[in-house]
Amino acid sequence: MSNSEYILNCDGISKAFGGTQALKDVQLHVKPGEVHALLGENGAGKSTLMKCVIGLIKQDSGTMEFEGKPYQVNGPIDALNSGISMIHQELNPEPYLTVAESIFLKRENTRGILLDKKAQNKRCQEVLDKFDVSYNATTKMKELTLAQVQMVEIIKAVSCDSRLIIMDEPTSSLDSTETEQLFEVIRDLKSKGVAIIYISHRMEEIFEICDRVSVFRNGTYVDTKSMEGVTRDELISMMVGRDVKSVFPKVDCKIGETVFKVENLCGDAFHDISFEVHAGEILGIAGLVGSGRSETMRAIFGLDPITSGKMYLEGKEITNKNPRSAIKKGICMVNEDRKNYGLCLLRSIRENISLPNLPARQKGLILNQKREKQECQEAAEKLTVKAASIEHNGFSLSGGNQQKVVLAKWILANPKVLILDEPTRGVDVGAKSDIHTLMCEFAAKGMAIIMISSELPEVMGMSDRILVYHEGRISGTIQRKEILDNHITQKDILAMEFAQHNKD
Amino acid sequence: MSEKKKFYQTDEFRMFMGKYGIGVILIFMIFVIAVMKPRFIYPSNILNVLTQISVNCLIAYGMCLAITTGGIDLSVGPQLALVSVLLGQFIVVRNMNIGLSIILALAATTLFGFINGVLIAKFNMAAFVVTLATQLVIRSIAQIISDGKGMSMASQAFKDIYSGTLIGVPLPIIYMVVISVIMYIVMHWTKFGRYVFAVGGNVNAAIASGVDVFWTKALCYTISGLLAGIAGVIFTSKTGSAQSNIGVAYETDAVAACVLGGTSFAGGISTAPGVLLGAVIIGCIYNGMNFLNIGSYYQYMTKGIIIIFAVLLDMVINKKNR
Amino acid sequence: MKKKVVAALLASVMVMSLTACGSSGSSGGAASAPASEAPASEAPAQSEAAPASEAAAEGEAAADTAASGGDLNGDGKIIVGYISKNTTDVFHATLNGAAEERLDSLVADGTIDEWTGILDGNTDAAKQCDLAQDCINYPCDYVIILPAESTASDPAVTSMADAGIGVIVVNSATDSTDSAAMAFAGSDDVYAGELMGNYVMEHVEGGGTFVHCQGIIGNSAQIQRGEGIANTIEKDSGWTKAADVPCDWDASKAVNTVDDYLAQYGDDLKAVICDNDDMSSAAQAECNAKGREDIVCIGVDGNQGPLQMVKEGTLGATVLQDGAGQVNAGIDAIVASIKGETVEKKIIVPFVLVTPDNVDEYLK
Repeated sequence: MSNSEYILNCDGISKAFGGTQALKDVQLHVKPGEVHALLGENGAGKSTLMKCVIGLIKQDSGTMEFEGKPYQVNGPIDALNSGISMIHQELNPEPYLTVAESIFLKRENTRGILLDKKAQNKRCQEVLDKFDVSYNATTKMKELTLAQVQMVEIIKAVSCDSRLIIMDEPTSSLDSTETEQLFEVIRDLKSKGVAIIYISHRMEEIFEICDRVSVFRNGTYVDTKSMEGVTRDELISMMVGRDVKSVFPKVDCKIGETVFKVENLCGDAFHDISFEVHAGEILGIAGLVGSGRSETMRAIFGLDPITSGKMYLEGKEITNKNPRSAIKKGICMVNEDRKNYGLCLLRSIRENISLPNLPARQKGLILNQKREKQECQEAAEKLTVKAASIEHNGFSLSGGNQQKVVLAKWILANPKVLILDEPTRGVDVGAKSDIHTLMCEFAAKGMAIIMISSELPEVMGMSDRILVYHEGRISGTIQRKEILDNHITQKDILAMEFAQHNKD
Repeated sequence: MSEKKKFYQTDEFRMFMGKYGIGVILIFMIFVIAVMKPRFIYPSNILNVLTQISVNCLIAYGMCLAITTGGIDLSVGPQLALVSVLLGQFIVVRNMNIGLSIILALAATTLFGFINGVLIAKFNMAAFVVTLATQLVIRSIAQIISDGKGMSMASQAFKDIYSGTLIGVPLPIIYMVVISVIMYIVMHWTKFGRYVFAVGGNVNAAIASGVDVFWTKALCYTISGLLAGIAGVIFTSKTGSAQSNIGVAYETDAVAACVLGGTSFAGGISTAPGVLLGAVIIGCIYNGMNFLNIGSYYQYMTKGIIIIFAVLLDMVINKKNR
Repeated sequence: MKKKVVAALLASVMVMSLTACGSSGSSGGAASAPASEAPASEAPAQSEAAPASEAAAEGEAAADTAASGGDLNGDGKIIVGYISKNTTDVFHATLNGAAEERLDSLVADGTIDEWTGILDGNTDAAKQCDLAQDCINYPCDYVIILPAESTASDPAVTSMADAGIGVIVVNSATDSTDSAAMAFAGSDDVYAGELMGNYVMEHVEGGGTFVHCQGIIGNSAQIQRGEGIANTIEKDSGWTKAADVPCDWDASKAVNTVDDYLAQYGDDLKAVICDNDDMSSAAQAECNAKGREDIVCIGVDGNQGPLQMVKEGTLGATVLQDGAGQVNAGIDAIVASIKGETVEKKIIVPFVLVTPDNVDEYLK
């Protein structure tokens, strides 16, 4: 199979974890200078294959070739030295390292056994200067935004002379402008002959930036296609193995009384926020990352303090000192930071689902475990969580399935107001559609839903009403009718997100 | 062999091994010692070992709660001393009723446990530092109360707390069984137990799920104080003497029992039966080494190596299960 | 639900099943109880029961007359247990070493069949109680114990005596040593304290201030040596005690104490009395280093370091506790019992004041 046309050849790769076959005889061929999309639902095996390529895990069988030579790898550093680097979906920057230290981590400039910081900073600055970045070699990582951290990772990859860069969901925490900047960089890398494996769930991006696409499903390889001539629906059915209904399954349901209302809410990152949400309504919230939308919701849920303003639930004024009091009142929130605020991955799916719902499931002081097990099982099934059993721990789940578990725990809580912060980030197409359908179901039952999303099509497709945030304030409100009538387009909302800027 | 393999492949079996794989090590150890020294598994010696571990086992349950929330409780040793001298004061000096004296002494250690908990949970101080400091305070209070002197607790009724039997079973074993059952229920069947695991596993996720982190942590250390107190009552009855210098370095055996029993130092993972198994293993190590004539200079080394080996083996078993 | 109850009780069932077979296995029912029938309940497990249980039934009386020829529990072997106080401090290391040498030679010449090796009591009475149970189960015929505490280690002595073991208490006595033990071999710590007090009074003219560095508070040696000091020098009107300072038998703490009190009392400080001579030798070295050779430091034990200093003349004197003598006296008692000779109940091995005149006798 050795073919000089390709920079990376993977053939017949298989990998099993315990009893589950994560990869079954899959292949992947990447050409130099192409952006190669890797597409598949969560758990399809994309990440596992990439982990094999960078040596985080070892395949059970199968061969890999890189640049025409047989390729064996003993870990990410080894891969980096061979010319392959990976930018992970969940970035873990060391907050107190400088940019230079991060970029040269594990291959520091040394003089004898001592670090030569000066030379390292100088070398780093030279690299940074090639890119148009607003920080310098001695900036601390904690001062950077997520997008900037990602850029550091890319610069690190380039500085290592990587000929193949793997990007796992690189845009999941970026807003639209940052995404556009990233694409610029990718195009530039491509022109220099660097091959990029691009993993994303966002179809729009794949169509915009990628040359070819390989599709995986349930640990098997489906096909590789050129992006030219393939349609979105084709790709989706390849991935899912079934037809997915219309992209956003929003059903209009009866919008009832005002359930929740805030007046002149102020906090550290938001000012003078007033809105109300009704029973059966899905309120979408759009805005750039850092515009105060997540911060508002965190404050409502009791995670962050509120400096002034009032909240009303079903007409009564309330305060939420902490999430516990919010949950008691029937306000629940799915946090955007799933790893930190979503699940306790060490514990079983059952324990995670039941965690906020334990007080109501006690017989005296003892838990009613039979009821708990049954309810968790039902909730997990309803959300089609893919796991061998609800007794398995969170680590065994893919990102999308973890998100479903988070949703399952709040569904059991049967809240009056459900706040969803980026509910479908890092979630595959199938699961995304499932989550959207469920949102509509809950709305139909009279739940008030607030949904934050960075994906404009999602906000526009799912919301009855959209609030647009800009720099901690609400800069506009859009009704669903206006969108359906095409009075408002994606461009208009983007303009609102930047509104104040234009005026300044 | 084929049917065994099938059983081996089931998820239930794997998870059981993940949790209680250490039990296999225990059985292996007992087997080896028994082959070399058959008297080791005579019923009387088994009762002897179980009686001996009761103090460590109770302390280890409290330690396990503290470690599971991501902390540690170093104050358990001095808590034994505090109970001991208080019992001496109440029973011998003030001639108070034994039951009442025990309740008052336990109240004192429970209070100190609660203070540990408040300092750790409310002010977010490191458990290691807080309990390192409070253990000095508690030891000092015990010395002040006793004026540094030992006191004989000659009352037979009091000594019977340790040396009495129920249907042929020494009472310390009965206490241990009862508390093991209670701890199992507390850790695995109650809301509080779930909260302990959640707080230790991911404190932010626990907060966002409505867990009261303060009370969960505070209660863990309070329970640890109470259990250390009960262990102190048994200890005092065992030696028949109220002293302020007892329980030095008792936290190390308790930590060892927890670790052997699969308690993760990163927090969030532990089981009550695991702690019991860990305590039994420690007891077997002590008793078995004496039976095997292992010189005392080599005993610490042997103990250390067994702990490292057991934990390594446990990790290997668990890794396969991931 | 039922299934879960079963699962939950797994732990307790395990323990219970063990205890259940424990009570069924022993004929009497009181399996490990310290009652006197304990050796009898062991006996059915052994095949050669008949002559043995007779001997065991005699209990303590048998020990005194030693009619059984040493095999007190009748398992056909004479086994000696050795429960040390600890294996870390210098004095006990010497003592354990002497015991090891002697017991090994007894095994070699066939007087006894086996001994347990040195069991580490960890200076913890509760640990010694556990070791006593281990010895009962081993099963030992004779056990030498060096108690960590006078009261708290007592259950170890009584439980072994109740189980028919010939208990030899060495070094310091426990509360019921007189009634329960076969013999006691040791020295009188009060006398050691008095020796120190008198030595200081004789060697410093005109009196002055002294400081007392204590061992771990609550240890019987600390208490009794303190008593001896109280009986002598504290009663003398020419002397004032600056303080009793708890130094935990620890030389470096004694040095700190010397520094503190030198700073406080200066020339008035004339003597440092320590509960052991690890502390006194270190204290003397510190005084000498500060140019205060006139200060008299004295302690108890007779460890090699301090003896060397006495020989060099840098330390005036030290009180030797003949540890090896004590343990050998204890073992002598066992040998006597095995041979059927009468065993002396209390063997006092005297303390010796070691000065440059007689130091060569004790320095190895």
